[in-house]
Amino acid sequence: MTLRVLLLVATALFSIGIYGLVTRRQAVALLLSIELMANAANVVFVAFSRFGGAPSQPLVLFALAITVAEVAVGLALVLLLYRRHGDTLLELASEARG
Amino acid sequence: MSSPVTLALLTLAAPLAAALVSVIIPPLRHRGAPAAMLTIVASLLATAAAAILVVQGGAGQAIRATVPWLVLQGRGLGEVGVRLDAVSVPMLAVVCLVALAIQVYSVGYMHDEAPRSYGRYFAYHALFLFSMNTLVLAPDLLQAFAGWELVGLVSYLLIGFHFDRPSAARAAVKAFWMTKLADMGFLFALLILFARTGAFSWDVALRPEVAEATAALVFLAVMGKSAQFPLHVWLPDAMEGPTPVSALLHAATMVAAGVYLVVRADPLFAQAHWVQGWMLWIGTITAVFAALLGLVQTDIKRVLAYSTCSQLGFMVAALGAGSAFAGYFHLGTHAFFKALLFLGAGSVIHAVHSNLLTDMGGLGRKMPLTALTFSAGALSLAGVPPFAGFASKDAILTAVEGRGGWVPWALLVATAFLTAFYMGRVLVLTFLGKPSPAAAHAHESPPVMTGPLLALALPTVAGGLLGPWLARGLGTEMHLHLGLTPVLAGLAAVGGLSLSLAIYARGGEAPLAGTLAALDRASIVDRAWAFGYRRLLLPLGAALRWVDRYLVDGLMNGLGYGTLESGAALRPVQTGRTRDYALAVVVGAILLLALGAWR
Amino acid sequence: MKAELGFGVLAFVLVGFPAIRVVTSRDLVRAVLWLAVTLLGTAVLYALLQAPFLAGVQVLTYVGGVVTLMVFGVMVTRKHEASTVPVDAANQGRGAVAALAFFSVVAWAILRTDLAALTPVQTPSTQELAVALLDEYLLAFEVASVLLLAAIVSAVVLARRRDPVAEPSGPVGETLREGSTP
Repeated sequence: MTLRVLLLVATALFSIGIYGLVTRRQAVALLLSIELMANAANVVFVAFSRFGGAPSQPLVLFALAITVAEVAVGLALVLLLYRRHGDTLLELASEARG
Repeated sequence: MSSPVTLALLTLAAPLAAALVSVIIPPLRHRGAPAAMLTIVASLLATAAAAILVVQGGAGQAIRATVPWLVLQGRGLGEVGVRLDAVSVPMLAVVCLVALAIQVYSVGYMHDEAPRSYGRYFAYHALFLFSMNTLVLAPDLLQAFAGWELVGLVSYLLIGFHFDRPSAARAAVKAFWMTKLADMGFLFALLILFARTGAFSWDVALRPEVAEATAALVFLAVMGKSAQFPLHVWLPDAMEGPTPVSALLHAATMVAAGVYLVVRADPLFAQAHWVQGWMLWIGTITAVFAALLGLVQTDIKRVLAYSTCSQLGFMVAALGAGSAFAGYFHLGTHAFFKALLFLGAGSVIHAVHSNLLTDMGGLGRKMPLTALTFSAGALSLAGVPPFAGFASKDAILTAVEGRGGWVPWALLVATAFLTAFYMGRVLVLTFLGKPSPAAAHAHESPPVMTGPLLALALPTVAGGLLGPWLARGLGTEMHLHLGLTPVLAGLAAVGGLSLSLAIYARGGEAPLAGTLAALDRASIVDRAWAFGYRRLLLPLGAALRWVDRYLVDGLMNGLGYGTLESGAALRPVQTGRTRDYALAVVVGAILLLALGAWR
Repeated sequence: MKAELGFGVLAFVLVGFPAIRVVTSRDLVRAVLWLAVTLLGTAVLYALLQAPFLAGVQVLTYVGGVVTLMVFGVMVTRKHEASTVPVDAANQGRGAVAALAFFSVVAWAILRTDLAALTPVQTPSTQELAVALLDEYLLAFEVASVLLLAAIVSAVVLARRRDPVAEPSGPVGETLREGSTP
């Protein structure tokens, strides 16, 4: 369990999240992808906490709290989107068109 | 500030204030009379101040009071202010006095104008006096140029005063562009002076070529302003303006500004002998040419216009012969008697409601004051001793003695004869003989008009006495001597008058009149200028307008249009789709990371 | 090397595979459930990395809270026909490229760095962690509380149903009326 492997795993997790972010059409699916990315970051923090550098476990806790807050608000927005259009496809939220 | 400087500034400030007030407070102008009062009061103040300056005389020393203008890096680009010396003070007095007389006269002459036009007229007069004084009092050539251009502007405004008349509007434009074209010479001369000396003074010693070039360029402007051949064609057309305007601007003062400028810049011209030679010949040619054409004019004002042109030629010839005094002296006497003649002509025109000599006749009995003063002016112009005109013309003829192989002298003496001759014609046709139908009901003009006539008559007759004083101021001497020249001049004057009286009183016509009339109708020079205007100047203007509209404006419009277009082109980037934005964020993040990793 | 490889396989099983299933499931409910698996796997990782408290918190908040929330969200907003998620084919290419690009850039940075130079620090015990929260990180702790409060309030405001009787008027009322039920 070296640091390097952990970092690569976290990066892979983040990349998978990116794939989901770009690919998915449902709003909820987007939120799931974002969750993945947040978790990947947390993994990095914990890895460094274990293997070197500053102890950053408290940082993980706060990152967790922030992510939770973001999910709450995000879901509320999804709800609004659903109420407006009857569906949660992201294309429907394209009124900010240039 | 010393008292003379204050007085000089008053001659500038009073008319300027009158002009500004008339402009800024339209009701004053629209009611007419208030503007007239303002202008005349201002002119009175200016004249009084000028008179005091004359009487105070010079303690000999020139006074120069200036402030720097356009201060850059601690040094002014030029100077503005006044210069009081034996050159500027007499001219100032002449200008203010003649202007005042003509303004008072105008109250009567322009009586029938609508109040709005009346007010506008007097506002222009105030502006003119200010501008002319700026030129006269200029301490260097830069301010002189400013005054020069300003009087050109006022000339345009006043020639085209009745702008609803197409002929007047055309005449104004013609005068304007012709003189502006010539003024390029002045401008280039200023540039050369600044490049060589870092200032605009005429009191500098230059290398011969530079002096010749500068003087030649200034003389080009003089040719335009003082209507020398071949730039004389605007002057007869300028008679479209009201007669008092013709008197003030196009006889007494503005056209004489060219002569004044050469006198003023004498230290410069004295170094340019080649240019002086040119001036002698051009002046002579102008004098002869204009006198010949004046002989066959049917419009009384045009006779006087050509006469002015001819007399200006005399002055320029004198300057070319090296005698600034002779030119200046004649400028002064001419201002008085020519203004008098024009005002008298105005009086006659007002009475018969026509400019044409054929509509006049027998007015000597009906308008005695006018006739008397007009005749005095005519005698002075003709150069009959002991009138003022004789003294100054004699000074000129004396100055050109021996120059140019005596040819100019001979021609000018002959022109003196012609001058007397054509004036005699005017006298006969206007005041003698049987009245024409139009002149049947003529009567003398009101005192407001005859008063100035009388006022101007005095210097017309006695002005010669001031000659020696003027000469001393300019550093030379004038003495009346009994020699070939004065005798010949006097004989030419008297002879010319008598001959014309004899011929015209009998209803005859001068020899060669037919040829001259044909020459006048042919208007070769005028047509040449018209051709140049239509075929060269206007196309050039059109080309420049194209450049301005399509290149300069095009550039600016293009920038605006380009901005809008690029905005429109970039707008589709905002698709509104969240996924696209997410992708953009990711791509950006990748790029930043790559950049960071690479470093 | 062998240890690394072994760990890599373990990681893939714990978090890698579930994560891939999250982003590729056509059924939203399945995707959410796979997320739960991923988060649990992450918790296991934390435990292995001597962060037991964090592992516990992870399970409680993420798996317990967030996933539940997600399930609710999916349930409330589903259309009445089959809830399969059509995947955009063109975007898959772009997504893959983006993900691979990101991974390669960061991986390259990681592999180039000399990680052995880092000095390992003693991981704090749970007790020490608790103390630190209320000592060094007190301000952050309090701010986080405020943040959570703000998130709760805003979520409630955004998502509440409009009561037809008590309708506020004026410009504020206009914005509130925006998201009313269809």
